[in-house]
Amino acid sequence: MSITLDQVTKLYQGVPVVNDVSLDIGDGEFFVLLGPSGSGKSTLLRAIAGLTGVDHGRIALHGRDVTHVAARRRGVGLVFQNYALFRHMSVADNIEFALRVRRMRASARRERRRELLRLVALEGMDQRLPAQLSGGQQQRVAVARALAHKPEVLLLDEPFGALDAKIREELRRTIREVQRELGITTVLVTHDQEEAFALADRIGVMNLGRLLEMGRPDDLYARPTTRFVATFLGAANLLLVRQSSGGLSFGGDASVNRSAESTRPGREREMVAVLRPEEVELAPDRSELTASYLTHGTVEEILFGGSLERMRVRLGNGAVNAQVVRADSDNGTAFLEVTRSQHEQRAFPLAPGQTVAIGARRLHVLPTPLSSFTACATSDAQALVVCRNPLLTELAVRMKTRVATRIEPTLGATAASPDESASFVGAAVIGARPGAVDCTEWLLRRGAEEVLILPENAVPPQRVLIHWVDEHARRATLAVSASLLRHVAAEAVYVGILPGAGTADEQRPLGMRALLDARSEAQSVHGLDMRTELHFGDVARELARALAESPGQLLILGVSDPAVLGERFAALLDATAWPLLIVYQPPDAPRR
Amino acid sequence: MAFRRPSVLPGFGLTFGFTTFFLSAIVLLPLAALVLMAASMSWEQFLHVVSTPRALGAYRLSFGASLLAAGINLVFGFIIAWTLVRYQFPGRRLIDALIDMPFALPTAVSGIALTTVFAENGWIGRYLSLAGIHVAYTWIGVTVALTLIGMPFMVRTVQPAIAEVQRDLEDAAETLGAGRLYVFRRIILPTVLPAMLTGFTLAFARAVGEYGSVIFIAGNLPMKTEITPLLIVIRLEEFDYRGAAALGVVMLVISFAVLLAINLLQAWGRRRIVATGR
Amino acid sequence: MAGVLPDALRDDAVTRPGGDTLWARLLRWTLIAVSLAFLAALLFAPLATVFATALEHGLRLYLASFADADTRSAVRLTLLTAAVVVPLNTLFGLAASWCIAKFEFKGKSFLITLIDLPLAVSPVISGMVYVLLFGLQGWFGHYLQEHGISIIFALPGIIIATMFVTFPYVARELIPLMQQLGNDEEEAAITMGAGAWMTFFRVTLPKVRWGLIYGVILCNARAMGEFGAVSVVSGHIRGLTNTMPLHIEILYNEYNFVGAFAVASLLTLLAVLTLVIKTLVERTGYKRR
Repeated sequence: MSITLDQVTKLYQGVPVVNDVSLDIGDGEFFVLLGPSGSGKSTLLRAIAGLTGVDHGRIALHGRDVTHVAARRRGVGLVFQNYALFRHMSVADNIEFALRVRRMRASARRERRRELLRLVALEGMDQRLPAQLSGGQQQRVAVARALAHKPEVLLLDEPFGALDAKIREELRRTIREVQRELGITTVLVTHDQEEAFALADRIGVMNLGRLLEMGRPDDLYARPTTRFVATFLGAANLLLVRQSSGGLSFGGDASVNRSAESTRPGREREMVAVLRPEEVELAPDRSELTASYLTHGTVEEILFGGSLERMRVRLGNGAVNAQVVRADSDNGTAFLEVTRSQHEQRAFPLAPGQTVAIGARRLHVLPTPLSSFTACATSDAQALVVCRNPLLTELAVRMKTRVATRIEPTLGATAASPDESASFVGAAVIGARPGAVDCTEWLLRRGAEEVLILPENAVPPQRVLIHWVDEHARRATLAVSASLLRHVAAEAVYVGILPGAGTADEQRPLGMRALLDARSEAQSVHGLDMRTELHFGDVARELARALAESPGQLLILGVSDPAVLGERFAALLDATAWPLLIVYQPPDAPRR
Repeated sequence: MAFRRPSVLPGFGLTFGFTTFFLSAIVLLPLAALVLMAASMSWEQFLHVVSTPRALGAYRLSFGASLLAAGINLVFGFIIAWTLVRYQFPGRRLIDALIDMPFALPTAVSGIALTTVFAENGWIGRYLSLAGIHVAYTWIGVTVALTLIGMPFMVRTVQPAIAEVQRDLEDAAETLGAGRLYVFRRIILPTVLPAMLTGFTLAFARAVGEYGSVIFIAGNLPMKTEITPLLIVIRLEEFDYRGAAALGVVMLVISFAVLLAINLLQAWGRRRIVATGR
Repeated sequence: MAGVLPDALRDDAVTRPGGDTLWARLLRWTLIAVSLAFLAALLFAPLATVFATALEHGLRLYLASFADADTRSAVRLTLLTAAVVVPLNTLFGLAASWCIAKFEFKGKSFLITLIDLPLAVSPVISGMVYVLLFGLQGWFGHYLQEHGISIIFALPGIIIATMFVTFPYVARELIPLMQQLGNDEEEAAITMGAGAWMTFFRVTLPKVRWGLIYGVILCNARAMGEFGAVSVVSGHIRGLTNTMPLHIEILYNEYNFVGAFAVASLLTLLAVLTLVIKTLVERTGYKRR
């Protein structure tokens, strides 16, 4: 393995800028770190280069642990976005810099310099000054300079950001060729997904300091596992679907027959599906669709895009309620982004205002829980307060999901019996107050799989504590935690609690093993890197104590029996000091 | 082109008239008097006046001490500027603000204060005289005073240059294998050099003409510790207007030469600072 | 430039891997120590001495120094000089900067050089040129004597010499500032029908107010503290033509240290006040070119 990162974390004023990142890059691989600004990708690159220290974790280059090794001894070459050429030195001097430091003889330096200039297609420019070169040429010099001392690893920090589109493409080609010719392990950081597709052997997508997904470009595009990657790597329509034993449905009578994981008959799960604009089929009538029927719609806007036609289609057409609901809109009416090739345009020309039948050729269901939020309260006013909660709105924006409202007058009444027809799907949200434990149980018994209890003015947490009451709920809890933590820049800590302080020493090895198991499952199955802590004593009390230690924390608690909440955790749930996310894994439902 | 480009804004006549009147009355006329007074002598007379042994002694002291003071400021001023820009330590902002004190403080005040500090029984003077170094009333004292008044020029000129050194360049050099000293020698110093030379010249120019801070600590013995401005004052008191004017012209010529050097240096510096990137 | 790492996220040489060596730390503390020692000897010690010597024999003697008639008249003279010089120079600064920043004409750089001139010239020469003009043997000497007008060795001379030395300060602050801020707003006002004075007071003056304040306080500090130029033209007549700096010289030469430093302490406090205002102005975001 050429580059190995193990749980690398960098904190800035207490906030993780790089949050528990682990990855392996092979020899000669071209790896691209892709993510929006502020995702921590540049910081991660600088950490690999040694220009930034790490607060936790290990970095190894070619098997050598370099975590505490100075940058100049790591054998890396770094190319900066603004070139960082030495302005008072000529091109030749710039390139030979690394060699001069190593006391190479002038003739040897000259030869190597010529070789590098040929490599980047800049022969003859030896004596120019950087100011006399264009942006593209300066960047080529920067690349040549970085390669002069034959580094083991080449790192590029958004190298083409300051250049025009055409030059950018030229340089992309040059970099690719250089990399192939030298076979050097390369890591390139960018926010441009097109660039990532063009260059990468593998892509690692980062957001909020976390490495979300890694894989080949085509895999990530066709089969993303997170909402973020689905929308970042290309345009995507996110639709809420209900998954049941009969397949996928969009509410109403539209359904897509797919054999999906069957759940308990009658019990539905709400999930998010990705429908790419190019996989949407439009036809004059339902009968003429070759793909599965979704709904009807009206063409709203058509944009000519050269080889592709881009359209926005309003779902539903007036009288008929839109059954297809976008995951990321507040109300039912929404738009679908559709792109059509010239071929399709000719087969079925369209104009704004026309009614069409919409079909989906290919739908990819994301395995993420937390599809949408439903704010629940006994009255309108209360529901509004919950909807306005800063943490909730923040999560909704970041997870690109909607917040629906549901008024339930009997919320929390323990006597009321569950009514199957009005069951909940997805995650319910209630305000924290005394009696929250009753509301939670009430919701869980009516099909809610997650309940989010929010104090007024809750803020995005800096630390998320994770605990499951019994092993049955472990997987679900980890899945939900992983999903949440992809959208919140916080430290993840699994709190393992063993009973009884008296038997501490004997229990410790058992406890430690459980912790390590939990951590490795979190990492390998759910892509979540988390810390672990071991406490002894009563579960509720220890959790309360951990939460009280510092502000800005959130607890994710997994249970398989709602009654447990009332019995043991009433005090914890009724306290209004911290946000809580209860994850429910019913005992007889298959694991999710 | 015509005298001026037409503009929609009013007030040119008034402001231009007032400005030129003011400058002519306050600056041009007096300078003309100076030059004409000096020119009213014959060339031999002029040369005789400006090259008496006493005058030569004064030049030696004025220029010599100014050069030395500017040199000291070159080293220490750079260190101070570097410390203020790159390091954090308690009181940094206060000290940064105090650097400008010699600008704001009247020269007479710094003059008597320095003399008191460096006198034989002064706070610092007493330790130095134990080591046999006498500061007050010697050329050393003159140099000390000139160093003080030149210090803000050097620090304030070099500070922005250091602050502007692109950290990316240092990072790049480090990844290429260079140690801190190498980076300093090859990357930082060449970039800051034009500013350092400008600061040196500014400090020198100010020091040559300085009067108030120096005459208290100088001792003012002819040919030993007498600075050129003092010689001019003495000539005036003797009503030897011509002699004073002649010496004044010599000082003016030097000032202009230095001003020219400063402008050329700044232009050279600007050519070397070329934009990277876009 | 987009994407360049903000300095806050950048690790210092000391905090990055391999950077916290003994050598590095030693160097850092040595440089800080050297800087502080240099400044202590040259700047802090003299400042402290001013107050230490003034108060050497107690507060009463310190305050008594200001009861002296000659000291009082020196203070009055200094204040009077500043009261005349600063407004006139401000007026000049505003006129000159309007003229230079807002119009293009031949000879502009010559004008700018003339404005910079007093800063390059020794203060003694600044005073001397007026003696050459108005002194007994100067150009206008006979004319003035005949008409009984005294300029040299009297208040007018002091005022003119101080003006020569201090007039660049306001102009030098305003000219680059106005150039940087451009003419767009004024042109817009004129085309909308505003008169010249209205444009000046309502549009320009508010724009440049911090630079103006900066220049004025510097001008004032220099006007009150000028020594060399005033020394040449004043004649050192006690009680009549001595400003505070000159009076300090007299007291010092008479070995009246408490008195000399007492007056000096006043000027030092003025300098401190100037620096404080300067820092406050800089906090508002005003950047000197």
